[in-house]
Amino acid sequence: MSAGVLRMPRLSDSMSEATIVAWLKRPGESFHRGEPLVEIETDKATVVYEAETDGELAEILVAEGVCAALGEPIARLGGGNGDAPAAAVEARPPQAAPASRARATPVARRTAAQLGVALHGLTGTGPGGRIRQLDVLRAGETAPPPEASDPKGPTTIVPLTTTAETIARRMAQSRAEIPSFEVVVQADLTTLLELRRGSGELVETVPSVNDFVVKAVALALREHPAFNASFVGGRIEQHGRINVGVAVATDDALLVPAVMDADSKPLSAIAAETRDLAARARARRLTPEELTASTFTVSNLGMLGVLSFTAVINAPQVAILAVGAAMRAPVETAAGEVAFRDLVALTLTSDHRAIYGADAARFLGRVRELLEHPLALLL
Amino acid sequence: MTATMDFRTAVREALDEELAADDRVVFFGEDVAIAGGVFAVTPGLYEKYGPERVFDTPISELALAGAAFGAAVSGLRPVVEIMFGDFLTLVMDTIVNQATKYWFLSGEQVPVPCVFRSVVGAGGRFGAIHSQMPVSWFMGVPGLKIAAPATPADAKGLLRSAIRDDNPVLFFEHKRLYGVTGEVDGELVPLGAARVAREGRDVTVVSAMNGVHESLKAAEALSADGIEAEVIDLRTLRPLDVPTVVASVVKTNRVVVVEEGPLTGGWAGEVIARVTEDCLGDLDDAWRIATPESPVPYSPPLEDAFLPGADRIASEIRRRLR
Amino acid sequence: MTHASELSVAGETELFLGLYRTMVLIRGFEELIQSLFLRGEVYGTTHLYSGQEAVAVGVASALDERDRVCATYRGHGHAIALGVDPQALLDELLGRATGVNGGRAGSMNINSPKDRLVGCFGIVGGTIAAATGVALALKRVGGVAVCQFGDGAINQGYFYECLNFCAVLRLPVVFLCENNGYGEYTRSQDVTAGAISARAEAMEVPAETVDGMSVVAVRDAAARAVEHARDGAGPYFLEAITYRYVGHSRSDPGAYRPAGELDRWKERDPIPRLRSDLVHAGVAPADLDAIHAEIDGLLQRLERKGLEAPFPEPRPTREFSG
Repeated sequence: MSAGVLRMPRLSDSMSEATIVAWLKRPGESFHRGEPLVEIETDKATVVYEAETDGELAEILVAEGVCAALGEPIARLGGGNGDAPAAAVEARPPQAAPASRARATPVARRTAAQLGVALHGLTGTGPGGRIRQLDVLRAGETAPPPEASDPKGPTTIVPLTTTAETIARRMAQSRAEIPSFEVVVQADLTTLLELRRGSGELVETVPSVNDFVVKAVALALREHPAFNASFVGGRIEQHGRINVGVAVATDDALLVPAVMDADSKPLSAIAAETRDLAARARARRLTPEELTASTFTVSNLGMLGVLSFTAVINAPQVAILAVGAAMRAPVETAAGEVAFRDLVALTLTSDHRAIYGADAARFLGRVRELLEHPLALLL
Repeated sequence: MTATMDFRTAVREALDEELAADDRVVFFGEDVAIAGGVFAVTPGLYEKYGPERVFDTPISELALAGAAFGAAVSGLRPVVEIMFGDFLTLVMDTIVNQATKYWFLSGEQVPVPCVFRSVVGAGGRFGAIHSQMPVSWFMGVPGLKIAAPATPADAKGLLRSAIRDDNPVLFFEHKRLYGVTGEVDGELVPLGAARVAREGRDVTVVSAMNGVHESLKAAEALSADGIEAEVIDLRTLRPLDVPTVVASVVKTNRVVVVEEGPLTGGWAGEVIARVTEDCLGDLDDAWRIATPESPVPYSPPLEDAFLPGADRIASEIRRRLR
Repeated sequence: MTHASELSVAGETELFLGLYRTMVLIRGFEELIQSLFLRGEVYGTTHLYSGQEAVAVGVASALDERDRVCATYRGHGHAIALGVDPQALLDELLGRATGVNGGRAGSMNINSPKDRLVGCFGIVGGTIAAATGVALALKRVGGVAVCQFGDGAINQGYFYECLNFCAVLRLPVVFLCENNGYGEYTRSQDVTAGAISARAEAMEVPAETVDGMSVVAVRDAAARAVEHARDGAGPYFLEAITYRYVGHSRSDPGAYRPAGELDRWKERDPIPRLRSDLVHAGVAPADLDAIHAEIDGLLQRLERKGLEAPFPEPRPTREFSG
């Protein structure tokens, strides 16, 4: 590159002329040595010509689709021709990174969202370097083995919906960022279950075990405000209201609508509400407020017979309670005999930046206490 | 009743049938009656219908056009031939200021049923002022319909529809298509309806007239490379059948419009604009292939390089889709 | 001359009383338009016919129900002479919904097919183009098309092409040239080579020059012209020498006229001339005064009703018929 002018380079030994296919930089954009500058079609192939030094594309002299002879000026250049690259860089704000919005076609964006591919950082091979669907598909595919020799059989791609993609991202983030630890207790629900069985004639909607758990958690949160909090920007934000989120599984998503002010609602109200929230969650008719108001989350897999499990913290909340199934087991009574009791495993996962082990144990212990002496839950 | 015939015969049959069906139809132009037309499209009509229905005129495009307009608002259904589309410049005033305004100005009381048949297009080595594609000059004229058949079947079906249409219609016959043969079933082809000439999944190629044939050839070549192009024959350029094009683009996500005419201000831009407005979210690529910003040259290698032929269409699509 | 016109009038007093009334109406109507224009109630521009009444009225009186007139943008006189409802005409100029064309056309584009007024054409020469086609259709029913145009149009391409076209095809057109000495702001003789009627003679079209300020003479000549055309002998060229009492359009005060010219022409005012002939034929002056009074009353009513008429509501129009 002679000072100020880029001439048609000799990209094949037999070429006498070539056609500009696409300029990969626009007038005014700067480039660094080694960056792709222009795509040129010679008699042999289409070649991406890379910049030999730092510089700035001042003016395009030969437009896309036009042919130029070997040596003919195809662009005017400006700025650091290898002499003072620092000057060229400081003269303008950093341009090497793409503008805040990637240049991508509407279909490319849609495909990227579907496949969970990030547009930033993708190299576009469309005209003017824009990202097209093919670029996204290439970025998204893991090298697929030819079908004939794949021991796992033919592959069916199941793209994530936008919601599922969001959940996936948040789950990964939660696990990656939060230093969590678990504390497990076993609660004796025998009394609670008897009460529950007896309530069938008294109320229209019999509270589920989870409804009792929600109420117990809400009351315990009153006494342990450190757990009714979020960890945001390096600080603990304790919330004024106690909104217990109840995890609901729908077809393709896990939603957490909140039971607002669960601590001051009677159990019957909580029962009615959790039923309504679950139904609306499945019908996707929850309000944005309902989906973002929870201050603590309860997740229950007891109805599916799970003994215990560890839930992923619903960031930015500081803790989440996982409830297993009530299992009948023999325990030693105070009198030294063996009796069968209904035991349930409660697993509390906490954010160790905000919560320490002893506090977790005390909070969870209080929840167990309330569940084992359920009178408090009914008042 | 299907028959195989060439494009020029299809045009003549359409005229013949409509002259026979409605005695308000008259046909006139330069050298069209006794000589049967400079492209031999209309022999025999003068002999069959006589000078009251089919007649020759002096070389007077202004008078020709005026006669078409005046007759159309007075109970006749004139069909006139403007020998070369390049001469439509002389007919502009009547089409723009008279024929296409009367329906509006009369308060939608008096329609103007007239057809201006004209021979257009390059590839015949006729040079700069006998090879143009005047479509874009007329796209911006409200009240005007523009028909552009690619096949003999459409030539006949569209011309019959045009003659029966109560509005001014510009009927373009590409001079390179006169010898093209095809099956003609004689059915009326409605104005304003496009046709999917070839199905495909990878790119929508939109064209008209000779461009359709070049696009189909390109599609065959591309098929060997694993690219299946869907080719749409617009058949009418004004009004455009946007829904058919959009349905195709929703399927393929890519649209290229092939227009024999200059890029700037061409009808291809109108197609791209409508597609963008109606299905932006389904677009992965959209571009036009047209002729350069220059008059049509005479010498064969110059004219061939000038036109958007099958090779150029195929190579551009290959390059864009790779 | 006076003696001959007196005789004509005496033989058809009732008829000429009717023509008198029409001329008085046109004169008063144009004065009303002038006044309304100055008050901003008539928009854009308009071209007044004051002084030329005898031509429109004389020609219209020679037509029958088969015939049609194509007029220019100076067409109010012809519209009224053909029988277009003056209220509808006024309302159109006022841009009201009750106008002849619902406010769509305005002064320059007025058309009323049911009154045999094909249209007023804004392009100089457009009326000639239209009449050519109208005549093509009217030939079948024995009708005649009159195209009215000014001395300026003589130099337009349409004039030459259509005169030749009509002569060659023997179309029934009366080429009515209202020679008022000025093409817009320029004296006709400064921009016209040779004599106007010589152009028709060169094409062997019968040409007659008549005193356009005498409705008797105009009617007489028009009858000859119409009969010639109707008989299948082809077009007839009629040049009426007349004068417009106001500027080319409302925007033109006419300052390019030499001093005294207007006064000399006012001495030949067609209305007092016919009045004189009618009186000599035995009509009581009081009867003629009564006509003036009646027209005055009518114009006042027209004005009041017109200014009260509603403006049209903007609504989508149908681009195409059918």
